[in-house]
Amino acid sequence: MSGAFKHLPIMMITLPMLGAALMPFVSYLRREAVPWVSALFLVVSGVLGLLLAGRIPPDGCVGYRLGGWEPPFGIELKVDFAGYFLMMVVCGISLLALLYSRLYIIREVEGGKITAYYVLFLLLSASMMGFVVTGDIFNLFVFMEILAISSYALVAVTGNRNAVRAAFKYLLMGAPSSIMVLLGIGLLYSATGTLNMADLAARVGETGYREVLIASFAVLVLAFMVKAAIFPLHLWLPDAHSIAPSPMSAMLSGLVVAVSAFAIARIAFSVFTVHSWGVVGTTLDALAAAGAAAVLFGGIMAIYQRDFKMMIAYSTISHMGYIVLGFTALNPEGLTGAVYHVLDHGIAKACLFLCAGNFIYRKGYRRIDQLKGAWREMPWTCFAFALAAWSVIGLPPSAGFISKWYLVYGNVKADRVPYAVVLLIGAILAAVYCFRIIYYMFFQPGEEGAWRDQVMDAPAGMLAPTWALSLATLFFGVFSYLFLDSLLKAAASLLA
Amino acid sequence: MPEGATKSVVPLFPVLLPWISLLAILLMPRKAPRLRLWLCFAGSALTFLVVILMLPGVLDGKTYYFKLASIVEGLEISLYVDTLGYYFALVLAFMWMLATLYSISYIDHKHNRFFAFLALCGSFLIGCAFSRNMFTYFIFYEMMTFGSYPLIIHEETTMARRAGYKYLVYAIAAGTVLFFAIIANYFWGGGVLNFEKWGLLSLETASRAALLTIFFTYIAGFGVKAAIMPLHGWVPDAHPAAPSPASALLSGVILKAGAFGIMRVIFNLFGIGLMKELGVHWVVAVFACITIVMASVFALTQDNLKRRLAYSSIGQVSYIILGLAMVSRDGALGGVMHLAHHALMKACLFLCAGVILVKTGKKNISEMRGIGYQLPVTMICFSVCALAMMGTPPSVGFISKWLLGSGAMQAGLPVYVVILLVSSLLNAAYFLPIIYTAFFRWEGDEEGAHHPKLDFSAENDRLMMVPVVLLALLVLVVGIWVTVPGFPYSLASRVVNLVFP
Amino acid sequence: MNLWHNFHYAVAMVLFCIGLYTVIMRRNIIKKIIGLNVMETSVFLFLVSIGYRKGGIAPIHGPGADPSRMVNPLPQALILTGIVVAVSVTALALSLVILLYRQFGTLDVSRLFREEEEEAG
Repeated sequence: MSGAFKHLPIMMITLPMLGAALMPFVSYLRREAVPWVSALFLVVSGVLGLLLAGRIPPDGCVGYRLGGWEPPFGIELKVDFAGYFLMMVVCGISLLALLYSRLYIIREVEGGKITAYYVLFLLLSASMMGFVVTGDIFNLFVFMEILAISSYALVAVTGNRNAVRAAFKYLLMGAPSSIMVLLGIGLLYSATGTLNMADLAARVGETGYREVLIASFAVLVLAFMVKAAIFPLHLWLPDAHSIAPSPMSAMLSGLVVAVSAFAIARIAFSVFTVHSWGVVGTTLDALAAAGAAAVLFGGIMAIYQRDFKMMIAYSTISHMGYIVLGFTALNPEGLTGAVYHVLDHGIAKACLFLCAGNFIYRKGYRRIDQLKGAWREMPWTCFAFALAAWSVIGLPPSAGFISKWYLVYGNVKADRVPYAVVLLIGAILAAVYCFRIIYYMFFQPGEEGAWRDQVMDAPAGMLAPTWALSLATLFFGVFSYLFLDSLLKAAASLLA
Repeated sequence: MPEGATKSVVPLFPVLLPWISLLAILLMPRKAPRLRLWLCFAGSALTFLVVILMLPGVLDGKTYYFKLASIVEGLEISLYVDTLGYYFALVLAFMWMLATLYSISYIDHKHNRFFAFLALCGSFLIGCAFSRNMFTYFIFYEMMTFGSYPLIIHEETTMARRAGYKYLVYAIAAGTVLFFAIIANYFWGGGVLNFEKWGLLSLETASRAALLTIFFTYIAGFGVKAAIMPLHGWVPDAHPAAPSPASALLSGVILKAGAFGIMRVIFNLFGIGLMKELGVHWVVAVFACITIVMASVFALTQDNLKRRLAYSSIGQVSYIILGLAMVSRDGALGGVMHLAHHALMKACLFLCAGVILVKTGKKNISEMRGIGYQLPVTMICFSVCALAMMGTPPSVGFISKWLLGSGAMQAGLPVYVVILLVSSLLNAAYFLPIIYTAFFRWEGDEEGAHHPKLDFSAENDRLMMVPVVLLALLVLVVGIWVTVPGFPYSLASRVVNLVFP
Repeated sequence: MNLWHNFHYAVAMVLFCIGLYTVIMRRNIIKKIIGLNVMETSVFLFLVSIGYRKGGIAPIHGPGADPSRMVNPLPQALILTGIVVAVSVTALALSLVILLYRQFGTLDVSRLFREEEEEAG
């Protein structure tokens, strides 16, 4: 890649950061413009990303040296196809959640903090984009910390007591895990003497410090398990995700945890590489077992929830298990399934949370049984919900079906039929909790006076992002062939 | 691209045409509800027309192929019209058209929802029939499964809700098992799921254990739809709960989608030879026999007419499965033909039950004394179909049973003939009382009162009567002029010639 | 390579455990944050001791400086970044503590979260 194009990846990341820095000034000039200008930054970032389409070789990667410093001394971005794909996913979903926030957030956040909300939001998106493409493990830590700090703050942004408490719980689990990431990086550095991922990949096979490698990988995996809320380290998630304002829940549940789960795959494949799995394989096995437990636990807990957002949060725990089971299969199909699941989980979960937001915005309803008969008053939200739920269950032709196909196939191929069965049971559990709500919405008469007979849905500014997401689940299912070939190649080269 | 296929966009039309109905529902002004329903019918009629237009080509032995998308090498979503798929499409497009016509006057509330999902399911079913591979089939099949849920619970009574719940439970479980079967087939079968060969898997490409796993997960997955006992639980609940045209479609077509899936598995994926080699046809045959007998026994005990018909359907669909499992030429022919034959008969019976329900409000057989005099045309049609079900000549039921019996002899297993005879006897035992109650009992008959006069005035609803009479006539006509091109024999015999070269 | 020569690693690990213990077991949320800082410090200690060499000099190039005697500057750079991150996390945590105290009137975790259970039940 030559010319100006090679700067595109870093521009995608820095633009929202720049936007975050500029937002207070924009707010000073004209407060109403803040949402639009922030959206503009993400749009430009997304357009730059689209310009990159076709320029990333599916079986290789494009490196970018920050400040022109030669790696391994300088920080490097390594944009491979999987990373690029996820970067675009992050950008797209963030943009829609941001647009949704414009109307929603003024209800929940007091005036003075709205600018802060957008600043944090942009920082969160930028850090996630950097997180998935960075080629330097310490840089990974830095992006992870920006991500974490802005998430803690965004959970608490409404300032009400439950939100602050949930944010504190999140911080109490998140901060020690961040420290453990740093510890893991330190151990890795002490064993190899480098921080660049490509360099590390070359050296982990040669280093004599096997015990240090094992310890380092275990510590890193454990730390990211907290970040990705993988059972049994998920305790912070249900509160944080259900209490945060809905567009924020969409970001946290749809992207933050999924990207963190992907980081484990990144570390396992780009840093430790296939050569050292003999050494660190036990940790991966343990991780897979935790993933399987997460699939079942999350699904079962989701069925027993009474609060709508709480249910979606538990469903997220279950789906993190999917992603983990995908890449621990250690074959291209499983990894492709995991990456595609990050996409479709992100879209579908974000859509579900935005639907929840619509109900809260219009009616203030949070309980599942209050949704009985919702169809009469809010048909558009209900339809969007049904489409997204379709993908969560993994029914064809949604994107969820494609990822489920590859996840199960990858596990069968890896001779892990029990895990494949766990994935299928997870889908059944998803069907149980999703169909219950669909049934309530469309086929159950509501309580007297709970819903009006005339259509009075959420405002168009909120419905549009909701619907964009729910249609995206279909789009990425039907047109999955546009991406899958490249993703499979990228996965194969990651595992080579 | 399958060998010898013509690339053509035609198969896409029947899949897309039902969407006209959907658009009509969404876009037509609210002021003209009737017009909207007629447009729905036009959509289904047009679909049928397009399917008919493909008949000469198919009878010439042509196959059509249209690729929608290729996901990765060996895994594509594409349409492919071969004789077997076309045969199923023809049956279901015809049934669909009649059911839509019937529904126009039968459905009395929430028209939009019912007709929208009716059209959607039609489209998906045609997609099933025209699928080139199991992957495509599964996609359409799952959408059809969940798309028919609103049809089942349309009445929104407690019974309908409960039936719908049961249906969903079975559907989700079956879909999961099927999904696993397809993945297992894809992985252990060497990454191919296509239907164009007559036997794709072999013991050279996969181990015996793998093939057995694949086969039985397929049978279990499709067996739920095809109501093979003990996987039939949803059928007797769903049929009475659904509105009559929907029950007619459930029995006539949707159960058959399961049977058709089994056909694809046995004919195309495994092939008759491999099935014999594995020895699995025994297992399937045993389950089919049990189902045939048990379903008829259960049917005897039902008083609710539609419930009795539902049990009858369970038994009849297993005729198809038994025909396939006989692994003989005539058996397969009978099985394949019974798919269409049973659809004609059972759809007619359910539509008659619908007429009875609408005109008299009666659901239970014990209440139907003298109903033959109140609704003479309906009950005559009902009797024709009921007699056909027992296998009385000249009717389609006789043809099926004859072929199945002959197939059993070809396979050298007269025990199947015994099963068929027992089943026919049981059929008679649960159908004849209905006819008897309708025509030979009436109010006050025990006190010696004369039978009431025939009263044709109640059957004034042409939209409902036309499908009923048409189906009853076809039961006779198809049973007499068996070999007319376009009738089941012409297509089924082609299929069987390909399966048993 | 014996424990005596690597006692700084052992100290870092002990500190880490003390910190983790504090975060998990202490009921006072400010003490939990102190525990967090102890954990951070332990990791910094660990990192800086990776780059340490006996008798090393500051890694500043200049006349008379001997590069072979310099300590590894990279861990130090990492720690600088780490400290910045740690400070911001601590600041955020403390601001949350202030909000919590204002709204619940307590710093005791068990009381903070017991109320939650009451509200849920």
